[in-house]
Amino acid sequence: MKLIITDIEDFHLPVKGPHKIIKPQTDIRHCIGCFGCWVKTPGQCVIHDGYENTGIDMSKCTELILISRCCYGCTSPFVKTVQDRAISYIHPDFLLRKGEMHHKRRYQNVITLSAHFYGEDITDAEKETARNLIYDNADNYDARVGKICFYRSVKELEDIAL
Amino acid sequence: MKIALLNGSPKYKNSSSEILLADLKSCILEAAKTAEDACRETDILEITLHHDNVPPEIIQKLESADAWVFSCPLYVDGLPGHLLSCLLQLDSVLRKKELPKTRKIFIYGIVNCGFYEGIQAKTALEILKNWCAKTGLVYGGGIGVGGGGGLSMMSSPKPEKGPKAPIIKKLRAMADRMLRQEASENHYVSVAFPRFLYKMAAQMGWRQQIRANGKRAKDL
Repeated sequence: MKLIITDIEDFHLPVKGPHKIIKPQTDIRHCIGCFGCWVKTPGQCVIHDGYENTGIDMSKCTELILISRCCYGCTSPFVKTVQDRAISYIHPDFLLRKGEMHHKRRYQNVITLSAHFYGEDITDAEKETARNLIYDNADNYDARVGKICFYRSVKELEDIAL
Repeated sequence: MKIALLNGSPKYKNSSSEILLADLKSCILEAAKTAEDACRETDILEITLHHDNVPPEIIQKLESADAWVFSCPLYVDGLPGHLLSCLLQLDSVLRKKELPKTRKIFIYGIVNCGFYEGIQAKTALEILKNWCAKTGLVYGGGIGVGGGGGLSMMSSPKPEKGPKAPIIKKLRAMADRMLRQEASENHYVSVAFPRFLYKMAAQMGWRQQIRANGKRAKDL
């Protein structure tokens, strides 16, 4: 399954094969750092606002595709908050990966992580940061990195194949 | 000199971000005693950004400060989503205001990670630096703090000794630079505590917490 997390409310791009799209439908509440998704309801966020199951959705996907406005080299607050609320995809225990401390896997699926960033004035420094962010995310998800692309507007996204 | 300390943790109390700002405040006050005249009178504003918007009265306070210090946890390799919202809001406000070119506001960042290696906060600090470039503020440098998960259990009457010692050293250097209105590269530091023990302590903590919630360790 492809899991698409986007901040585009009227997202309507065609997607090949089974997929799920997480987009702004209701107001999202931000992560409060309680770790309830690890120690109270393992796998699921304790805030019930319609965005509590992203960690579980991630466990069922082979491709995670972020489609987001680029904000200073990061995803937009909506996409970032969905990711913040989905740390239950990984296990709280630590291990060493590439000489650094990371979290263990909770699930066995291996994700290919892609990102499509859009924005009128994305600087070269922001592009570099955004690439670093996706590689960092892949290290923590123990995932592979797919495409990382930049577009000047949402309209330009219409040509991408998902 | 007016310095705003901004706690960007979503937690209301006992956050590592708050602890680091309290330590930085002590370092600033200490450094101010020996600083040049203009910096001896240091006014410190303590501001919390627990939510995804910045109230107008806080924005007004921030505009009068010479330096802002953001302290936050590392969330999924970046800044927490709610803090990113605050930055976008501040960006919009600052662009409309068009600060005079002679007015320089220095921005410093402290990002603490649950991971042991402070270098894992590099990308989050880059995001803050990019935000400064977009908003016309001066990026003064940041500290990536590793082992942030244990800071609340590492209080010491002698900050120059104990597991927090290397962090205090970096905070002192940041305080000195702040009073001189200087910028620097980012610095990365970890708690002075063996990595394998930090890992072990964290994992014991998760097990205690899940048992306290009526579940078993294997449910983690």
